[in-house]
Amino acid sequence: MKSILLSAFILFFGLESLSAQMQRTRAVQDGPVDELFLIGSVAGMSTVTNLEANNMNSLIMHNFGLVSGGLEDFYGLDQGAAVRLGIDYGVTDKLSIGIGRTSVEDNVDLRFKYTVLRQLKSDKVPVEVAVKGDIGVTTQKNNRGFEDFTFSERLNYFGSVMIARQFNGKFTLQVAPMVSHFNTVVIDVVGQPEPEHTHFGVGFAGRIKLGVRNSLTFEYLPVLGERTEGTKNHFALGYEIETGGHVFQMFFMAGQWFTEQHLLARNTNDFFAGDFRLGFNVNRIFSLGKK
Amino acid sequence: MKKLFTFLTMLVVSFPLSAQSFYSETGTAKFTSSVPLHNFTGTSESLVGMIKLDDMSVDFYIDLETLDTGNAKRDKDMLITLETDKHPFAEFFGEITSDFDPESSSEQPVTVKGDFTIHGGTKEVEIDGTITKTEGGLLVKADWILNLEDYDIEPPRLLIVKVDEEQAIEIEVLLKPVEEG
Repeated sequence: MKSILLSAFILFFGLESLSAQMQRTRAVQDGPVDELFLIGSVAGMSTVTNLEANNMNSLIMHNFGLVSGGLEDFYGLDQGAAVRLGIDYGVTDKLSIGIGRTSVEDNVDLRFKYTVLRQLKSDKVPVEVAVKGDIGVTTQKNNRGFEDFTFSERLNYFGSVMIARQFNGKFTLQVAPMVSHFNTVVIDVVGQPEPEHTHFGVGFAGRIKLGVRNSLTFEYLPVLGERTEGTKNHFALGYEIETGGHVFQMFFMAGQWFTEQHLLARNTNDFFAGDFRLGFNVNRIFSLGKK
Repeated sequence: MKKLFTFLTMLVVSFPLSAQSFYSETGTAKFTSSVPLHNFTGTSESLVGMIKLDDMSVDFYIDLETLDTGNAKRDKDMLITLETDKHPFAEFFGEITSDFDPESSSEQPVTVKGDFTIHGGTKEVEIDGTITKTEGGLLVKADWILNLEDYDIEPPRLLIVKVDEEQAIEIEVLLKPVEEG
């Protein structure tokens, strides 16, 4: 009888332990890799990182004159800033649209970015893919003879397919075949060969995470095939830091523009020959409501 | 002895069967944070909870990475602040200490007492809420104020603006009856 009592008690207390805490299990087993890049652009080149639905990024992008101007030119700061003010908005988690205005030639551009694939933590999808389109119009009246041009003659276009992968959670590399087109090209120097309307290129962008909130970045836009004489491959090297909804980006960049059609076709500075400028972008993301 | 054996067997076997348990893993948990001139809310639909009426135990937990404030940057800040890579769950384990009539179908105010754990810190808390017995199970609602400093959580700063230490927490979940045995 003792043994019966003993087994009964063991059973009883064994079952009693059922009221112990539940096993804790993670709800999120797989999902997209977060933030292949901190934000939607490096310096001037776009990244696969897109906005969430109902989020708005207001961004101020600027750079100065060439650092090679030296102290006399206060390393380019005396040249004044080229500024692009822009707003992008996440229509859905996959689609964002944006508008911006660049102070150089008063170029106003509309753009979209559509996320086709997200890289998954499980690696079932190993890359993130997004497409981007941008159409700009030069609204300046009295520069480069633009006042004589019609609306359609003032248009410029850009398209790219961005393919990126984050490796080991530390390093992201993006490769982006791209094309730019200008309806009108201008011969700036007498005797200059006819400039190209269309440029093809492959953009490279990278991010090395230094910590959870900061990273080193670069972008490189080599032109493939025919190019307008004097056009150099754009390059930029940057540092970015994130704090409470802001992403600050500081960089040295060759090109003066923040629209890739111009960076690809209109850059005449060779970064590696010392022709680069200081620039910085401020991104502020606002949440405009629930998804 | 046979009677005793039968009695003990019935006691052991019938105990868990008669013990009604209620469970869900799709409860709603919400927190509201205040910064000057602005409030924001984080929500999760992945609150896991169980109440056992046999011993009045209450067991809730949530994977903090399921909280969504509607802004990916803010979500990231929150997860960094809570160090979810080390402490992925917020959890409560305790018991109902007030009177509760499992047969009543009216909304009953209840008090639970137990350990609340987040960010690796545990504190004994007493939380008031309501339980309503419905056809679908037990509808549980509760709200309380969580003080971040109690759990060694440094309130994040949005630039120079500091998030308030006190966070308003709300939960609502319909716990469904569980077949045991």
